[in-house]
Amino acid sequence: MSATAKGLALVPEPAGHADGPRASAVRPVLSFEQVGFDYDGRAIMRDVSFAIAPGELVAVLGPSGCGKTTILNMVAGFLKPTAGAALIGGREIAGPGPDRGVVFQAAALFDWMTVADNIAFSLRCAGRPKAEQRQVASEMAALVGLSGVEGLYPYQLSGGMRQRVGLARVLAAKPKVMLMDEPFSALDVQTREVLQEEVLRIKERTGCTILFVTHSIDEAVFLGDRIFLLNDLKEGRFEEFRVDLPAPRANGENRLHPAFIRLREAIYRQMRH
Amino acid sequence: MTSSDRRARRQYWAVAILSPLAIFLLWVFVTAQGAVPAIILPSPAAVATSFLDMVQRGYSGVALATHVGASLWRVGVAFLIGAALGVAVGLLRGRIPVIDAIFLVPSEIVRPIPPLGLIPLFILWFGIGELSKILLIFIAVFLIMMVNAQAGARSCAVDSLRAAQSMGAGRWQIFRFVVLPSALPQIMTGLRIAMGTALTILVASELLGGDRGLGFLILDASSFFRTTYVFAGIILIGLIGLISDRGIAYLSRRIVHWEGRR
Repeated sequence: MSATAKGLALVPEPAGHADGPRASAVRPVLSFEQVGFDYDGRAIMRDVSFAIAPGELVAVLGPSGCGKTTILNMVAGFLKPTAGAALIGGREIAGPGPDRGVVFQAAALFDWMTVADNIAFSLRCAGRPKAEQRQVASEMAALVGLSGVEGLYPYQLSGGMRQRVGLARVLAAKPKVMLMDEPFSALDVQTREVLQEEVLRIKERTGCTILFVTHSIDEAVFLGDRIFLLNDLKEGRFEEFRVDLPAPRANGENRLHPAFIRLREAIYRQMRH
Repeated sequence: MTSSDRRARRQYWAVAILSPLAIFLLWVFVTAQGAVPAIILPSPAAVATSFLDMVQRGYSGVALATHVGASLWRVGVAFLIGAALGVAVGLLRGRIPVIDAIFLVPSEIVRPIPPLGLIPLFILWFGIGELSKILLIFIAVFLIMMVNAQAGARSCAVDSLRAAQSMGAGRWQIFRFVVLPSALPQIMTGLRIAMGTALTILVASELLGGDRGLGFLILDASSFFRTTYVFAGIILIGLIGLISDRGIAYLSRRIVHWEGRR
């Protein structure tokens, strides 16, 4: 059994995915220790523990209402655990902060600011000089494929481009962890797939740690290094799958890879179970 | 803009100009028939003559520009201070429960009182000078702007606030960069309503006495049955209202450029 499972209530991984380097062999950047959360006296989750290593992309998968957004909101600092501890870099999460950037489902851009000002918002808040803000804005715009639209307003962009701005403004803050809350679920299939590949490319280039919440099995398998399938958080149980797809991961062909299809089937059967 | 958009716009403005023109022609027609006594509804020509008379010789010994200036000053001062304070308090009420609690009962008790009902009190407290007049307009503007700014601040999306927090924005930065812009559409609408109300109350406030101002002019002329002067004064106030409303609407489209386009 791996180090992650120590003291945790993880269901063993399906055969064929138990090998490979363990994420928690290194010092985790993000961890939950027996976290519980009650809302209105109702238990949403009990005794949830996990650890995420630097540079890892963990896809949190589950149907609506399973508690996946609650996990993300606790990491972001929008919610506080009612039991246990949520840790970032070994320190308890006290509230929202620029070390944990959030990409929202509906982008949540500031419509009154240009794309450049949206991207540079964290630098503006930190009191960085105007020239630096401009420079970072254009660097990040280039990184997410938005060069040339820095002067436009969010309402002048398509849904896919708006999410690219959402990504760029989080990257500009150089967070330890990026939290993505079903960011592509409202986009059409083609745009979604392009952006998924973009996320993997950005991850390779920046080494960013990502917690990616989704209800799409395909998205979880395509993006994740590991997948947490949340089926019963009230009992502290979730299933963990390791994804074994050939590098570079930012390759659409991976969607046709036998390992992709096998894992998708395994997860599908688990979810239906 | 497509050509059908342009046609729709032309049509819009054609109707917007034809509608007052039709009212004007109806006025000309009705008065030309002599069906209504001139003291009740004077003809446009008679009103124009009185207007020119006022332009040349003033009204009750005071130049017309002075009357207009006095009214604009009262409305302007009351409007600017009332709007600034109303927006500030409204935004704070929208985001900080304690401040909301402080203002809730007092402002909801004052809000339904018609300004005319306050006039006797204001005469007792502040006399019949400028202060009473400006305060009367100020209170109306303040209350309207407070309600609108509060509703605007409340309409701020939770995700926008969270996004700002997770990008390291402090309380003031969130207020300045997220809450205020989110409230701007409603604030701009409030400004238009408040300006209309301010001009209405101007006339009432000039009931308080004094010898200048458009409200004074209208009330004085009406008590001497100088209906043509009443009409000229009413039309002047109406034009000021029209111009200020169009001005605020124009500014609002420029400032709140994102509204309705999300």
